[in-house]
Amino acid sequence: MDYIIDGFFKAIQLLTSFDQEVYGIIILSLLVSSTATLISSTFSIPLGIYLGAKEFKGKRIFSRLLFTSMSVPSVIVGLVVAILLARRGPFGSLQLLFTPQAMIIAQTLLVIPLCLGLTFNLSRTRGKEIKEMGITMGGSKINTLFLMIRELKMDILINIVTTFSRAISEVGAVMIVGGNIKNDTRVITTSIAMFNSMGDYPTAIALGLVLLLLSFIVNSLIYNYNQGG
Amino acid sequence: MEIQLNAIKKAYGERLVLDIDHYGIEKGQIMGIVGPNGAGKTTLLRILAGLDHDYEGHVTYDGQELNRAIQKKMTLVFQKPYLFHRSVYENIAYPLKIRKTPKEKIKVKVEEILNNLEITSLKQQNARSLSGGESQKVSLARALVFEPRLLLLDEPTSNIDPLSLEILEREIIRYNRKSCASVIIVTHSMEQAERLCDKIIYMNNGKVIK
Amino acid sequence: MRKILSILLILALVFSFALVGCSNDTDQQPDPQAEERDIILATTTSTRDSGLLDYLLPIFKEESNINVKVVAVGTGQALQMGRDGEADILLVHAKATEEIFMQEGHGVVRHDVMYNDFVVVGPEDDPAKLKEKAPQDIIAGFKLIAENEAPFVSRGDESGTHIMEKNLWAEAEIEPEGEWYISAGKGMADVLKMADEKLGYTLTDRATYLNLMDVVELDILLEKDEKLFNQYGIIPVNPEKNENIKAEDAIIFMEWMLSDETQSLIGEFGVDKFGMPLFTPNAN
Repeated sequence: MDYIIDGFFKAIQLLTSFDQEVYGIIILSLLVSSTATLISSTFSIPLGIYLGAKEFKGKRIFSRLLFTSMSVPSVIVGLVVAILLARRGPFGSLQLLFTPQAMIIAQTLLVIPLCLGLTFNLSRTRGKEIKEMGITMGGSKINTLFLMIRELKMDILINIVTTFSRAISEVGAVMIVGGNIKNDTRVITTSIAMFNSMGDYPTAIALGLVLLLLSFIVNSLIYNYNQGG
Repeated sequence: MEIQLNAIKKAYGERLVLDIDHYGIEKGQIMGIVGPNGAGKTTLLRILAGLDHDYEGHVTYDGQELNRAIQKKMTLVFQKPYLFHRSVYENIAYPLKIRKTPKEKIKVKVEEILNNLEITSLKQQNARSLSGGESQKVSLARALVFEPRLLLLDEPTSNIDPLSLEILEREIIRYNRKSCASVIIVTHSMEQAERLCDKIIYMNNGKVIK
Repeated sequence: MRKILSILLILALVFSFALVGCSNDTDQQPDPQAEERDIILATTTSTRDSGLLDYLLPIFKEESNINVKVVAVGTGQALQMGRDGEADILLVHAKATEEIFMQEGHGVVRHDVMYNDFVVVGPEDDPAKLKEKAPQDIIAGFKLIAENEAPFVSRGDESGTHIMEKNLWAEAEIEPEGEWYISAGKGMADVLKMADEKLGYTLTDRATYLNLMDVVELDILLEKDEKLFNQYGIIPVNPEKNENIKAEDAIIFMEWMLSDETQSLIGEFGVDKFGMPLFTPNAN
């Protein structure tokens, strides 16, 4: 029991002493996951809004597939990306395995279905009204798309936050494609697993607290923004 | 804008919801469509507005099939207005903005129509927070501000207070007289149709009955 | 509020460009003149956990400007990475398996680097009476544990440690099975914690145990049998496997590890913290 309490104290001490290793890990996690979120949102949001409100053949099957792929296990994505990026794989000459770039690629691929699926569903349930409004206003397709995005902005933001949370809390993909290399590809989740297996509970707990704190901050920012807007 | 309807047929499964052989709507008129629920009035309006492409037959506007240029010159006012999550001013300015109207001109036109509909005081208010009558006025203002050649209205005055109703009807008539735009209004109220319309048609079971 | 979010967004964009631009150099200031080289070293989790590489590699980087990226996995996976050409150099401790690896032509050359030793740890009250009856005899010790059916936690993961353990049971002519024998399938530190929880015995390398001494309540009950010495080998991977193998730099690293200076560094590691070195250098 004591070691849990010791853990909390060590956590506070590490965070306030600006331990370089710990802060490096935190910053890398933020960079990797926010870049993945940024890329996947830029791709998924316009596409999801557009497809959600559109009638097309096979929309039902598409929905099924999309919703299933939203919860693909992160280890599988990690495995597939690692196979593709491995030296003997098709993209081996790019030498991306065990780099932060590979981690960004893996996380982006992991969360695209999530972001797309959430946005698609949002558009499907609430988009029609807005789309018709856009048409009757005489706008172009792009005008209408932007109108829909703007009108659904609050929920889209929530989707982006959900996407970010999924990215920053996953461990399977970044562990396999990153390799948890010190000062290079070590992020919060892979570190927690590692420090735990090394018996270094204080650091593991410290990082766990940080991850929770980050989630809380991001969610609060969005909540405040939504309330104000 | 003159409209011609040719052999318009639309079915939901077995049921024929629209069945119009031929009908022409003269330009510059205010035409009313009345009929019981399920007569196909709203369906017809939506087809005219370019929201529904799932039908047989042809609709022409001044001799042309529906295209972007024509779409830009018409609009539909919904029974339940969808106002954007912005101020009243921004809602009304929207169609002018996307037509790339210069800012100063937008200001003039929006303020003019706010004035006509007696809602100038609501200018900066969040459009989602308005009452029923106020919402309908903003909805109409937004539809008229860019001076469409064809104005379609789907029961624009159901469930609003009598004062707002009077203002809305006055504005519709005024717009038609001033711009000679064609107006088609679907209404439940025979009295309203007689107040506003130059011509009234009856619909039932998807058919136009004189 | 909107302004803050826009700023955050822009920052994220800027950082992501910086990340992509600066590639692997996340430690110190990048040296614009020298070109940075990376090699991938596949090693075991227990080697990583000992802290030896954290101690040595910065020194190597200073001297050679080569960044050694340490991927710590199980012995099996490390060797597989070697076979697949995914790593440039291996540092493992499973000599027999390494020799087969060399025979199959996967490595350029194999050298002894250092050794550490294994110990048997267990609960203070020592129910199988190892300390009393067989303090330095591993075979006898294993027999005592089996006879008493004292809880024993095994790595169970085909690691170097696990292979050594299996060989010892075989030599003692015991097939370890039953409720007392727990096959964990985990790394050394996890296994030690498990043994601690279950008040059982386990075979561990000395380094991992020393690092966890504050966290577990296990004592060393059997040590210093010659059979418990754990030899480390370093093997640069055969560059014929694919064009991306950094054979030259891998060999530079190997020669550095075998050099007299580095060997004496290895011999000093751990003395400050534990009063005894964790490894004994034995390159020849």
